[in-house]
Amino acid sequence: MRARIIARNEVLKIVDLLRRDHEVVAPFRGGGRDTFFDTVTDENRGRIEIHLPNPYLPPKRYVLPQIEKLLRFRPRDGTWELLPEFNDRKRAIFGLRSCDVAGIHHLDRFFLGREFRDPYYERRRKNLFIVNVVCTDPEQDINDECYCLCSDTGPAARDHFDLQLMDLGEGEFMAVAGTPAGEALFAEPIFRPATPGQVERRRRILSEVRHRFKNTTGWFSATVRYISRGQVLEKTWEEIGHRCLECGGCTYVCPACTCFTVTDRPVGNGEIERVRLWDSCALGGFTRMAGGHNPRRAVHDRRNRRFFRKLAHYFIQRELSMACVGCGRCAAVCHGDVGMPSVVEMIRRATAELDRHEPVKS
Amino acid sequence: MNQSNPENIYLPKLAVLDRVVDEIDEVKTFFWHFKEEADQAAFRRFRPGQFAQVSIFGAGEFPASLPPSPTEEETFFTIRKVGSVTDALHRLRPGQEFGVRGPYGNGFPMEQYHGRNLVFVAGGIGLIPLRSCIVYALANRDKFGKIQIFYGARVPKDLMYQPLLREWEKAGGFECYLTVDRPDADWKGHVGVVGSLFKKSGVQVPVANTTAFVCGPPVMFRFVIKDLLAMGLPETDIVSTLERYMKCGVGKCGHCCIGVAYVCVDGPVFTFQQIRKLGEDI
Repeated sequence: MRARIIARNEVLKIVDLLRRDHEVVAPFRGGGRDTFFDTVTDENRGRIEIHLPNPYLPPKRYVLPQIEKLLRFRPRDGTWELLPEFNDRKRAIFGLRSCDVAGIHHLDRFFLGREFRDPYYERRRKNLFIVNVVCTDPEQDINDECYCLCSDTGPAARDHFDLQLMDLGEGEFMAVAGTPAGEALFAEPIFRPATPGQVERRRRILSEVRHRFKNTTGWFSATVRYISRGQVLEKTWEEIGHRCLECGGCTYVCPACTCFTVTDRPVGNGEIERVRLWDSCALGGFTRMAGGHNPRRAVHDRRNRRFFRKLAHYFIQRELSMACVGCGRCAAVCHGDVGMPSVVEMIRRATAELDRHEPVKS
Repeated sequence: MNQSNPENIYLPKLAVLDRVVDEIDEVKTFFWHFKEEADQAAFRRFRPGQFAQVSIFGAGEFPASLPPSPTEEETFFTIRKVGSVTDALHRLRPGQEFGVRGPYGNGFPMEQYHGRNLVFVAGGIGLIPLRSCIVYALANRDKFGKIQIFYGARVPKDLMYQPLLREWEKAGGFECYLTVDRPDADWKGHVGVVGSLFKKSGVQVPVANTTAFVCGPPVMFRFVIKDLLAMGLPETDIVSTLERYMKCGVGKCGHCCIGVAYVCVDGPVFTFQQIRKLGEDI
């Protein structure tokens, strides 16, 4: 059994241990609903929060920064030096929610799977230590938009973390190691063995907390089937498209969205930096080619594209997971209410009417 | 980090521009070679129909089809000046350096076409991506059945690769038909859209055991496809290459993803049946 117990007032000592050789980022509270991930310093270390609403801006940027340097081109003696710009910093995320653990795992499959491995992603990911915190506080951890029960990614991640922490109440947390690196921490005296009673308490809290989610009826399986079979009506896509304001917000807050654009910019002394930046399929220019031809013109074509890419069976098979982790961020930021939960429901309702089975005739 | 890190999929290799040849208005052919011989040797394993990512340092990167056949000695791109990066390439002078990554994409499975008739149908600069497999097929003439080339442009001065076209028209062993929409005073050939060549007297387009390659502007593509299907060619025997906005060329940036395919890694060569199922404009 790899489960250990750590006292609540010692939990932040894990941050201290990790800070010895990592930059540690953790969630903090701003004003009101505002929460965010930030680098832990001696000054802010005491303000790290364990139970708080998941930050809107996903921790994706620690493996896929919003702006990331790829290459530097340096003119020298009539030729060019082409220099990769890798970031080899060791980093730990403390307090990553289970939905976001699934998000990073989805990015792993996408960027490191198949024919080409992304070396920039790979380095950041290899240097990343993940401390997952299970969402157990219905007031703080679970929001109206939380959707992880429907996407089967929470409230407790089953794997892909280095260390998982869960609040057992009574001033105790249970720690579970997911990797040898996580298990190595158990050598520290702040951890002590868990009793069978504590393991049972973990199980009981998990089964209770599942009833505290408000959004539990999103029927992904039906929507995946309708989208994969091409049964979604054009007018349903149009309805979704009409409600999209083309702001790109859903893609920027999505922990599983991967699209980026690349641009060159001068950085002085004749040197050029090639950077990649998050891009969004919601934006009209996303598929526009030089010369102006754009094969994807209408808004609803672009919305169709986003949800097809996330939910079509073909891609789920390819990455072995849906490109939706149920974090609910798109639902929270979308002004037109066409975040994932609404779209799943709109598609299911509109398409189910046409999907009636003929009664069996004798 | 050393430059020759083979794992960095985004790192271009240095190339040197050798000479530039004017083709048609706004279109030039750029002959180049890799600075390192090893890079040149590795690149020369490309297949017809593949593409490369071309970097002009400071301007950016764009996908470019590979018009040379692997059976030819020289490496070159034929590029229309259409945006900021291609404009920067057009301003490059011989001796100057730029970057190339690739080859990428699936390319035409030429071995699968051995023993078959090949019908090439191109419009305008659509001949650029098809040039590679036409030259390849002619260099391996004995491996294929009947070979026909149908090529059209709006006006005679818009016909690409004119010295090569004159060679093709004169040479034996295959058929080459040219047409223009609007003739000028010197034009003595056929007048009409590309599809009208199929009905020209003496032209017999083979249907059985035939693969048709179609590349050109969207309007031409739609009409030629209609003609070929009407002649009885199956959708699976019509192939083309798709053009999309691309940033990475290796299936990561997401711009070229249509239907269930990333054009850069699953394409750019698709059968017409696949293109139809991908469900987007050509």
